[in-house]
Amino acid sequence: MTVDALTLNALKDVAGVPSHPLIFLILGVVTFTLHMVSVQVMLGAAGLTIWGAFSRDRHWRRLAQSMLLTAKIAVSIAIVLGVAPLLFVQVIYDPFWYVSNVLSAWWVIGFIVILIFGYLLIYVFYGLNHHLATEKTRCPGSMILSLLLLLVVGFIMHVLVQQMLSPDLWMSWYAPAGAIDASGTGLHDYDLFRFAFFVSLSTLVIGAWLIAYRRYVGQRADARELAGYLDWVRTLAVRLSLIGGLVSLLLGLAWLMTLPERHAAAIPVVLSLIAMTAILIMAIAPSLLGKRLESAALGYGVMGLTTLAILLTAVAREALRWNILQGIFGYAPLDYRINMDWYSTGLFFATFLIVGGLTLGYYLGVAWKSGQSAGVYTPSPALDRLGTLSISVLVLWIIHFFAVGFWIWMQ
Amino acid sequence: MELIGLYPTWFEPMVGSGWIVGIIATIHVLASHTSVGAAIFFAALATIAYRRNQPELLDFIKRYGLFLLIFSYVIGSITGPGIWFSTTVASPRGISALIHSFVWKWAAEWVFFVIEVVGVYLIVYLVGRVDQRTHLRITIIFGLAAYATMLVIIGILSFMMWPGKEAWFEQGGYLYGFYGANTFAQLAMRTAFMFTMTAVVGGIVAGSIQDPAFKRDMVRRLAWLGIVSSIAGAAILFWYVNTLPEYAHLVMENRLPEYFLPAMLGVLGGILVYFLFTLAMPRRLVPALAGVMALAILVFGLWPGEVARESIRKPYVAGQYVYSNQVIARDVPGMGISSEIPLLEEQGFLKTHVFIPDELREVTPANAERVGHALALVACSNCHSLTHTGMRPLAHYFGGNTDIDDIKVYLQGALATGNTLYMPKIPLTDAEAEALAVYLANLADPRVAERYAARHQGLAAADAPHSHLE
Repeated sequence: MTVDALTLNALKDVAGVPSHPLIFLILGVVTFTLHMVSVQVMLGAAGLTIWGAFSRDRHWRRLAQSMLLTAKIAVSIAIVLGVAPLLFVQVIYDPFWYVSNVLSAWWVIGFIVILIFGYLLIYVFYGLNHHLATEKTRCPGSMILSLLLLLVVGFIMHVLVQQMLSPDLWMSWYAPAGAIDASGTGLHDYDLFRFAFFVSLSTLVIGAWLIAYRRYVGQRADARELAGYLDWVRTLAVRLSLIGGLVSLLLGLAWLMTLPERHAAAIPVVLSLIAMTAILIMAIAPSLLGKRLESAALGYGVMGLTTLAILLTAVAREALRWNILQGIFGYAPLDYRINMDWYSTGLFFATFLIVGGLTLGYYLGVAWKSGQSAGVYTPSPALDRLGTLSISVLVLWIIHFFAVGFWIWMQ
Repeated sequence: MELIGLYPTWFEPMVGSGWIVGIIATIHVLASHTSVGAAIFFAALATIAYRRNQPELLDFIKRYGLFLLIFSYVIGSITGPGIWFSTTVASPRGISALIHSFVWKWAAEWVFFVIEVVGVYLIVYLVGRVDQRTHLRITIIFGLAAYATMLVIIGILSFMMWPGKEAWFEQGGYLYGFYGANTFAQLAMRTAFMFTMTAVVGGIVAGSIQDPAFKRDMVRRLAWLGIVSSIAGAAILFWYVNTLPEYAHLVMENRLPEYFLPAMLGVLGGILVYFLFTLAMPRRLVPALAGVMALAILVFGLWPGEVARESIRKPYVAGQYVYSNQVIARDVPGMGISSEIPLLEEQGFLKTHVFIPDELREVTPANAERVGHALALVACSNCHSLTHTGMRPLAHYFGGNTDIDDIKVYLQGALATGNTLYMPKIPLTDAEAEALAVYLANLADPRVAERYAARHQGLAAADAPHSHLE
């Protein structure tokens, strides 16, 4: 049987979706962007840590120490932010995601184990190198292996996403010559240019991150003593943005130009051009801005705009998937049957916007300000009020949970 | 042709896909419950530390927090989505059923999880760097957000067992699926036991405290936490069991060994003895002892508990409408869901399953064993290994019987009619039953399929001129 629109629609979940599918599509793209930016910060920071760990240059070693902490936290953030796109892809692209996963089941399980080891190895390196800036590097192999393992899990994820795009080949992977292979040991499809493109964006992103880092550290009380280091960081950041951005551009073009013939017509030309232009702008902008990067608006703005470039890239990526799955195979995510559930839809957005907004606003505000303060930091009354408000909304959320729950239970 | 949305199957012959899900889930339960309990414990400790000016408690929070960064926020935060990954490959329609009913609940949990992850870093790294009130606020927010993650997941776990209210089947909607007596009993039980795990794992940190007086103080605090929570948990366990539906009790009586409940109470007794020991002799607590205890809880407490929870919802895997073999087993009018059983009874798996190779859609003497294998993969392998290793090997259930007709009678009499407790109803057409019987007989004697093919091809050859003459 060929896998066509009929079969793909048969695989949709029988329960339907609890809100309009477009909402899940948008949330999927947005949260994928946040996940990718943190992954790219993580990869970039890990790369700079390794480079610095082998260097004797004092600036490099100081940067390596900072980037080690960045990489360690970025892995956490990448994992937690990765949960959301993983959730949303299962809602509207479930037929593709589940088939792709089952066909490579052992790799899916391997993803979990390899990621745990990759992450733990960062802690091993961190535990051995608390004073990387001033002391000799111990066990650099742990950090190198960690980065390699993180790339391996990235590649597994890439394959799972890539396999989604070829439902016409699923049966040949699952039952070659009619003999079912249920072992789940195969990795059936990959696109090295595509994978390399997303990995290479880490150089562009870490360049923008360093510009923000330079600005942030430049506001600290001890900034004057670090003037030479901060200038060096700016030069490095500008260089990384330029080189990384141009390499990404080339790899992105190579990816699109080498798409299999059956997918080539699905390229979203306009969206791809917009994304590529955004990458190009973010590659050259820091070089053109020079010293003006030291202002608050540009110092942090470059990171914001680079995130926007990644968002545009994510939109183009989604459009490509959409065009392949709908245009070629007739699968329409927006036709998913809706079992509208207003309560849970409203509760999520209230949780996301109110609880998440207030609480994370407070957390990040405290983290930001305390990082720039010397000695013990005491927040402003406004930030204090935000903290009290955060606790209040969390308590209200929990009270609401029990109130609604008991009411339903007693019915 | 009408199709049903069954996915390809992953078959793991060594331990079985169910065990792999179970291993990942059990590790996650230990890591996540510990962190939620610890988050609330931290809030309480920080309050005491600032009110009574006991900065050493903050030091303990920092050390325990650092330990949790690895234990819960590396292992726990990866095995969390790891459960999704493993259930995706082991039971795609099971996880899909949960995702499609509770996506917004999981998304809300994600918000709390982000707060939790940011919070743990702030708690650890901002001790002494922000004023006391601010650190306390950070800690309280962390505790509340962590507990909110548990509130969210509890309802989904309860739904896996049984939708909260019977009305869900008729009216649908998230609320009737999420809330019920079992939701709250399970919440209370897990709340109690999460503190038990916090106390045990906290012993790994407390055991390494150098200052004897502070060590005694912390170990005793943890011991009391452990004693109270394990006694409360044991009491709530009975409430939890009483909220289980009648069918689950029937399965428990018939499928769980008689010693299961006494054994679980014995494990709780052992935990209690451990805490009484550390209460009486706090100096004797060393990280290795606490580590062994945590491992013992994982192996002797959590693992059997999770396996039992898995068992008593059989033959369903989610919401009492998705069978463990992924077939939609009943109508749920409230969600617009129709049972797939009637279609399977009419047309069978071979005609309706998307991922059956074309050459196996018709049963012939030559391919009967291969078709049987495909059917066993689809209908049986989620719970029964197709080899002699792994989970409940299928071959062990037929006593070495190689009589195809005998096996076929069982398949059509007991299995296809749904008259076996704990087993799903597995409708099979006559040809499918025959093919599956050939496969099962062939497991006992690998020459059966060949003989069957030869005999039936011979019969066909003998019949051919006869038919021709007619």
